[in-house]
Amino acid sequence: MARVKIVTDSTSDIPSELLKKFDISVVPLKVLMGNETYLDGVNLTPERFYENLEKMDGLPTTSQPSPYEFETMYRRLYEKKGNEDLAVLSIHLSAALSGTVQSAMLAAEEVKKDFDVEVVDSKRASYAVGIIVVEIAKMAQSGASMEECKDRLSQLMEDTPVYFLVDSLEYLQKNGRIGKASALIGSLLKMKPVLSLTENGEVYPYQKVRGRKKALSVIRDALQERYKDKPVHIGVAHAGDVGTIDELLQHVRDVLNVQSEVVTTIGAVIGSHTGRGTVAVTVTGAE
Amino acid sequence: MPEATIDGKKLALMLMEGASLLGKNVKKVDALNVFPVPDGDTGTNMNLTMTSGIEEINTQPQEHAGTVAKYFSRGLLMGARGNSGVILSQLFRGFAKAVEKEKELTTYHLKKALEEGVSTAYKAVMKPVEGTILTVAKEAAQGAKKSSHAVPPEEWMAEVVAKAEQALKKTPDLLPVLKEVGVVDSGGQGLVYIYQGMLQALEGKFTEQNEQEASPSLEDLVKVEHHQNAHAQLSTEDIEFGYCTEVMVKFEEEKLRTHTFEESSFREELAKLGDSLLVVSDDDLLKVHIHAEYPGEVLSKAQAYGSLTHVKIENMREQHQALIRNESSESQGYTTYKPMEDGSSDEEDKDASPTQEYGFVTVSMGKGIEELFKGLNADEVIAGGQTMNPSTEDIVKAIAKVHARHIFVLPNNGNIVMAAEQAAQVSGYHVHIIPTTSVPQGLSALFAFNETAGLDENEQAMNEARKQVKTGQLTYAVRDTVIEGLEIKEGDYMGIAEKEIVTSGTDLQKTAEGLLEKLIDEQTEIVTLLRGEEADEDTEHTIITFIETHYEDVEVEVHEGGQPLYPFIISVE
Repeated sequence: MARVKIVTDSTSDIPSELLKKFDISVVPLKVLMGNETYLDGVNLTPERFYENLEKMDGLPTTSQPSPYEFETMYRRLYEKKGNEDLAVLSIHLSAALSGTVQSAMLAAEEVKKDFDVEVVDSKRASYAVGIIVVEIAKMAQSGASMEECKDRLSQLMEDTPVYFLVDSLEYLQKNGRIGKASALIGSLLKMKPVLSLTENGEVYPYQKVRGRKKALSVIRDALQERYKDKPVHIGVAHAGDVGTIDELLQHVRDVLNVQSEVVTTIGAVIGSHTGRGTVAVTVTGAE
Repeated sequence: MPEATIDGKKLALMLMEGASLLGKNVKKVDALNVFPVPDGDTGTNMNLTMTSGIEEINTQPQEHAGTVAKYFSRGLLMGARGNSGVILSQLFRGFAKAVEKEKELTTYHLKKALEEGVSTAYKAVMKPVEGTILTVAKEAAQGAKKSSHAVPPEEWMAEVVAKAEQALKKTPDLLPVLKEVGVVDSGGQGLVYIYQGMLQALEGKFTEQNEQEASPSLEDLVKVEHHQNAHAQLSTEDIEFGYCTEVMVKFEEEKLRTHTFEESSFREELAKLGDSLLVVSDDDLLKVHIHAEYPGEVLSKAQAYGSLTHVKIENMREQHQALIRNESSESQGYTTYKPMEDGSSDEEDKDASPTQEYGFVTVSMGKGIEELFKGLNADEVIAGGQTMNPSTEDIVKAIAKVHARHIFVLPNNGNIVMAAEQAAQVSGYHVHIIPTTSVPQGLSALFAFNETAGLDENEQAMNEARKQVKTGQLTYAVRDTVIEGLEIKEGDYMGIAEKEIVTSGTDLQKTAEGLLEKLIDEQTEIVTLLRGEEADEDTEHTIITFIETHYEDVEVEVHEGGQPLYPFIISVE
């Protein structure tokens, strides 16, 4: 039986200690700020990115890894495999938001004759991808087969709601990632919409709210209604708003049966599209 | 001796006399409003409603009493303004239904008609409140029921009036707020005037026209005039005079020296240029409304007496084409604007088929507020609200302009909710009323709409949102009163929290602070100020500073509202 190796991209926003612990490989996306191109999470930390974001004119742009970069990653894993058989499961950011999956698929075609790479569109973003990747990586590490990993993966994708708040819709709009939330743009009234992702991984307004506190309680209520007492893993991610993340965590802990929690930072690529001040929570059922 | 009867002409006279006695007493009825706010008043609303009914019967032959009642009822129904206007229209809707087939009316018919009116009106009101126009109508009908069929109509009507007057006197016992302020119910008083007028006509006594102390304003008359025309004209080609023209002229002495102004001859001169002519003038101003084919001529003639201060010209053929897509038909005395999906296969229907799933009609005063609503995707914003309650027909027309499968109506004023409900019934579209009673409620409700959610979910979310926001309004008192222990002097500022006057005084700033203290609590996150026409920057700044210093966690948002009479409308959420 082939050993399963998990690959994801930098937008999964998985903390580095978890990457190490569960042996997850990451292909970085790129961020262009002014004339400088950075590799997300490699030579640009979230902290530095948000600092620079404040200062720069205009908005940063981002680009997906090239198929060649994916192929390089897949081949490097193949070379290191030793005597075992190897299969790669490559789990990525929603295709509705990025062409990353596309690049990975092209790379998978290239290496097909030598070994098997399965590419999956998670239809999610940030740690909503990360929480799934971590779960699957745990299974792979304990020897699960590709089939078992994929079965669990499709289960998790059905059961990983994500809610997020942005400080301003401007970033989503200017970068063309606003999806079904575009109807919110004309409002002169300030708003704090609770955003989520559709089944197809597109941004949509779950509920329009005025005020941060109300938004947080909307998220709490939605999660409580969905999970009640069931055990869950939770992940919260923030783009430089530590205060709100504490409040959000407290709300979630209050109503859910939390088995594990991960606090992480939203990286430069997702941050380019949501702006500073974004907070997100994702939950998935624990077995 | 043959039984005394009322033919169509007589019934028309009765109704006209009812309308003119009410018209004569409009200000008295207005003065009975419980809150001393400068708002659209009961007397004005009922008067305009009656005027619309009278205009309707004047366009018809008046032989058949049942037909007169039917047309009158239709005019009231479409012209109904304010809750009392809507109730009045329902009273006469029942009345008309009861006598529909009768060419002439006997006392027996009148009795039946009044009873039917009361039961129709009670059914139309979701939560009937006793001590209002409803009680007066009910007790008058019940009391007069006891008298014999055999008495002549005028004797019977005298009994109706007597009972109505008695019931009116009792309204303060039924509705505590009336007792506190020391008034009888305004809508009930309006109905008593109408009944008294009807009795006068039966007795052959008539109010002299020049006694009318308060005739409706030009704007009000124009609305009624336009309503009448919408019914009278059958096709766009039939519009002989294509431009609705309104001119306001400030008289100039120099011009008057060579051109003496004489209203009646001016009127005659203009009458040659078109129809639907209305001329109103006082010492300083001349206002003209006319439907003319050559608006330029109207302007020149008016300009001869002074300078033009306001001109509005609208192409009625274009407007009418939009309107006639909504073919009107009659059912149960309703004029129904049919939705296009059920309509005939006329070419025009294609344009009018729903192009969007959801549409929104709302009501507000002020350019800024209108823009806020438009920013939240409102399709039609009817100008009105506090100073002028739109009629059922105004709302029906706005609904007809929105080509959506489901249309939400947000009336934003407690006194417009019933007219909106009536409009929903008449319109023939899928209309959903979100009964918002203030602009902040309307904004919050519309804000909560989510395109990606379903109809029921949205309706629920919008109603939820409407209840969650608190409304504060700053305005001034139009008369002295004592209410809820507050002594209020005419001209004082008043802070109204939701429906209650909570502070008052001569200082706007202090009144605003008192109001904010009542509205803001621990849950409050955002206070939104809608700046009115009469707001000044200093007050605005002090209000903002007050909130920021006293409520650390509260965010303040300011928008230009542009509303009249209310220097600030405050939304607390």
